[in-house]
Amino acid sequence: MAPPWLDVLDETIGACVTHRRPDLEARLREKRAQQLDPKLRVLVVGESKQGKSQLVNALLNAPVCAVGDDITTTVPTFVQHADTPSAALVRNASAGGSIFHTPTERIAVPIDQVTKQASAQSKHVVRAEIGIPRALLDSGLVLIDTPGVGDTRSAHTASTFATLMQADAVLLVSDATGELTSAEMTLLKKVMEACPNVTVVVTKIDLVPSWRAVVERNRALLARAGVPAKLIPVSSALRLRAAKTGDQRLNAESGFPDLLACVQRDIVASADLLARRAVAVVASSAITQLVTPLREELTAHDSSHTVATISTLQEAQRRVDELRRRSARWQNVLNDEMADLISDVEYDLRDRTRKILREVDKTYDEADPAIGWDKFEQWLEDNLNEAATTNFAWLMERAEWVAAKVARNFPVYREDLIPGSVLPDDLLEPASKLEKPKIEPFSVPQKLFTGLRGSYGGVLMFGLVTSLAGMPLINVISLGAGALFGGKSILDESDQRLKRRQAAAKAAAQRHVDDFFMKFSKDVRDSGRHIQRTLRNHFSTLAEELQETLLESARSAKRAVQDDQTERERRMREGRKELDKLVTLYKRVQALGGPAMELTA
Amino acid sequence: MTLDRVVWSMLQEAMAVYRDSPRATAWLRSHAERYTEPVRIAVAGRSRIGKSTVVNALIGDEFTPQSSFVWYRGATEPRAHVFSGPGRPHEVTIGRRGSRNHVETGQVDRADRVVVEWPARSLRDVVLFDTPAEATPEQVLGDADALLYLMRHVQDEDLRFLRSANDHPIARNAAVHTVAVLARADEIGAGRIDALSSAKQIARRYRRDVAVQPLCQNVVSVAGLLAVAARTVREDEFAALRVLSSLGREELEDHLLSADRFVGEQFPLTMEPAVRQALLERFGIFGVRLITALIRQGFDSQVKLTGQLVQRSGLGELRDSIAIHFTERREVLKARSALLALDVLLRVEPRQQARKLVTDLERVVASAHDFRELRLVAALQSGRTKLPADLQGEALRLVGAEGTAPAVRLGFEYEADAGELREALLDALVRWQAQALDVHAPNDHRRAAQVVVRTCEGLLPRFG
Repeated sequence: MAPPWLDVLDETIGACVTHRRPDLEARLREKRAQQLDPKLRVLVVGESKQGKSQLVNALLNAPVCAVGDDITTTVPTFVQHADTPSAALVRNASAGGSIFHTPTERIAVPIDQVTKQASAQSKHVVRAEIGIPRALLDSGLVLIDTPGVGDTRSAHTASTFATLMQADAVLLVSDATGELTSAEMTLLKKVMEACPNVTVVVTKIDLVPSWRAVVERNRALLARAGVPAKLIPVSSALRLRAAKTGDQRLNAESGFPDLLACVQRDIVASADLLARRAVAVVASSAITQLVTPLREELTAHDSSHTVATISTLQEAQRRVDELRRRSARWQNVLNDEMADLISDVEYDLRDRTRKILREVDKTYDEADPAIGWDKFEQWLEDNLNEAATTNFAWLMERAEWVAAKVARNFPVYREDLIPGSVLPDDLLEPASKLEKPKIEPFSVPQKLFTGLRGSYGGVLMFGLVTSLAGMPLINVISLGAGALFGGKSILDESDQRLKRRQAAAKAAAQRHVDDFFMKFSKDVRDSGRHIQRTLRNHFSTLAEELQETLLESARSAKRAVQDDQTERERRMREGRKELDKLVTLYKRVQALGGPAMELTA
Repeated sequence: MTLDRVVWSMLQEAMAVYRDSPRATAWLRSHAERYTEPVRIAVAGRSRIGKSTVVNALIGDEFTPQSSFVWYRGATEPRAHVFSGPGRPHEVTIGRRGSRNHVETGQVDRADRVVVEWPARSLRDVVLFDTPAEATPEQVLGDADALLYLMRHVQDEDLRFLRSANDHPIARNAAVHTVAVLARADEIGAGRIDALSSAKQIARRYRRDVAVQPLCQNVVSVAGLLAVAARTVREDEFAALRVLSSLGREELEDHLLSADRFVGEQFPLTMEPAVRQALLERFGIFGVRLITALIRQGFDSQVKLTGQLVQRSGLGELRDSIAIHFTERREVLKARSALLALDVLLRVEPRQQARKLVTDLERVVASAHDFRELRLVAALQSGRTKLPADLQGEALRLVGAEGTAPAVRLGFEYEADAGELREALLDALVRWQAQALDVHAPNDHRRAAQVVVRTCEGLLPRFG
């Protein structure tokens, strides 16, 4: 029949599985395997240089573990029964990883080389195993020598604590040159948590004249700390010496018979009791670990989760309000900005056309429209076009800026917040053609006629004057004067005609520019309004979408608050059931003889 | 101006600035007094590590241990004062208890500290403090210029103590001078006859350990009981030990197997158990083993034996260490303590007129060459600054890690004359100048070389 502790342990493992704690499960499974194993592991721990290895040697009466004045033991050394002396190093096949779950390989080494090789490759070696034929080990006892705790090289300490988990009993070694230090007391308490069967061994009593006083002080310290551990003073040196000389009295003096009796009686003989106690300790620690989060969940459930859902709901409503408040703002921004935009653009256009007209005036103050009108027409067209393009480009730029500004005033940010295009398509139809002004050319017959008309007066005027001097009416002087006068009137006439042409050209240009301005400013206004409409539509669609989303999330939050209530109640019921189960299990564990701790639902 | 004069003038200046504050004046006066005293060395460590024993060994006289701070100061007359609470100290008598001197503090309930003035050559250039085990690093280092830290094997707890000792802005710039002592060297070797040499090896290993090296200047091993024995062994004890060694080696060994056997009934010689008990208490089982072995080897007069014991117990090495690292560096250590005291004062009572002192203090700490040497030693030893292996040793030696005497710095093992020293110095100077200007070298390398060059330049005037 399986011993009762096995059922309890299995159930605890089951509980660990249901609560999804693979770490605890692995630990318990290991303990289970170890308890089913007929071997009894006795761990020798203590601070460095207390004589741990020497104690193991003295227990076995054989120099199996190397001892030295400096830090010697670097890996846990397992000493167990074997028919012929043998030794092996167990190393991690792969570097790193936990000590238990990586594949390991065994390398056989000569027994006197174990420690040397172990420290040489201590990074990879997990433990050393030594087998020797000894009656003490016959019953399946395994002595485990460990590296000192509290050494500056913490790797040693870590491997000692890893080994601690596998121990059935522990011998805590402290030498007689001083009482237990506070560090040793801490270590002792830590060991008690993992394995309750601890015996304190006070070594090196041969060196210290006042060892009895030290032992007394240590007993008092243990009693004060409430640690129910036995204390045995020994001297390894005496024991080894006695073994060499076969001196029974010396052996008795060494204190080892007591220690061996204690090991036999308390550890080997009461394996079942040890197992029950050990299982009780690990199982109750595992259950405590399971219960704590469960209980926390139960209490936290009531408050925190509901609070979270309600705050989600409040947040959603707050955002809906915020959106409403903000949408008024973006509309205002859009209206204001567009009005500004249109007036600015119009002013700009007017400014540009006026500049062109001034240029035209300046040109036709001098130039003759009759010459190069085509060129002028081209120039004017170009300039107007340029003005229009620049102006329109500016409009577009400003429009995009306005879109960005409105987007900034929009309550949330989205990728598609700024519309791709706000341009109307049907823009920039050419305005009416520039009319050519009427140009009267000054033809040769006209010139002749005008010249004659002018010369007529001159001939007559000077002919009459010279006739008084007895000359004929037509003479050299009057003819000369006639020619002069004729020439002047031709000049005057052509001058006047030029002026008229210039005025006509100016008027034509003016009309054209006016037409252009009228048409184009209308276009610009239209575009502006178009842009405004596009933007308004775009943003209001977005706002509607957003509002819908927010309202939806608020609604779902509200639903969640309601759903939560029922879900929570269900889980609370389940949690309580689980907790009750664990508490029952814990009580059974306690019955095995673990430490008396209170655990209630 | 040398460092000690600079610091002295700063102390004087502070006294002028704070002359209206009685508290500050008292503080400064005590520190000015301390400035002219020998180096104060605190002996600290965990409980029952053997602090009092080491102090006794260093003094060369035995005192019964006390539960409070005990200062041992050199004087012409033996006297003792007990300081407790505010009030004046009162004088107490020094009596004897067995072979030990005992300060009769019986009538005082709680002494803050006991100051023992004792005529001893060994106290001429040091003041020793024995500290209680539960004292915090601040208490221990508050009055001390240097620290002798006792431990068995280096454990985390010891490293924590040493680290916290260096946790002050000025301490970080000029680390506390510490010599770590592997006390109870005889127990490290489990009382075997070769225990002391193996303890020396362990000390050597710790000297190179990266965790230990930056925290102390040296690690030595000392067998406390043996060291005391070396200084105080008496006629009658010597006679008893001689009688013991006349016994056959095998036979004696049998009876020296354990303390119990040695004082037990079945002892082959007619020697009172009380005498044996007394020997055991004085020398320990290891001491008895070693001394009888030594006598058997021919060190059969008290003088010869004392010489052997001083050397073997590690006391000689400890004294050398104290000389090299503490008494030779007295000026720097004193300056450091005075600067710490000034720093405390300037923080506790900040004043407008003291502004100059604050900046002076900062400047001295940052730029005094002695501190820069110390910092370089610390940086090289902790590996913060790296030099090629051949240069590292020389740099450490030149900046005074092994001693501050010019011959030691220049690496002479014999008495060299001034010409030789000068030549070696000029050689070192030229080589290190080249290092300081080497553009291919990393920055810290060049900076370290600059410090070494400055050291060499400072030595130069001594050889004209």
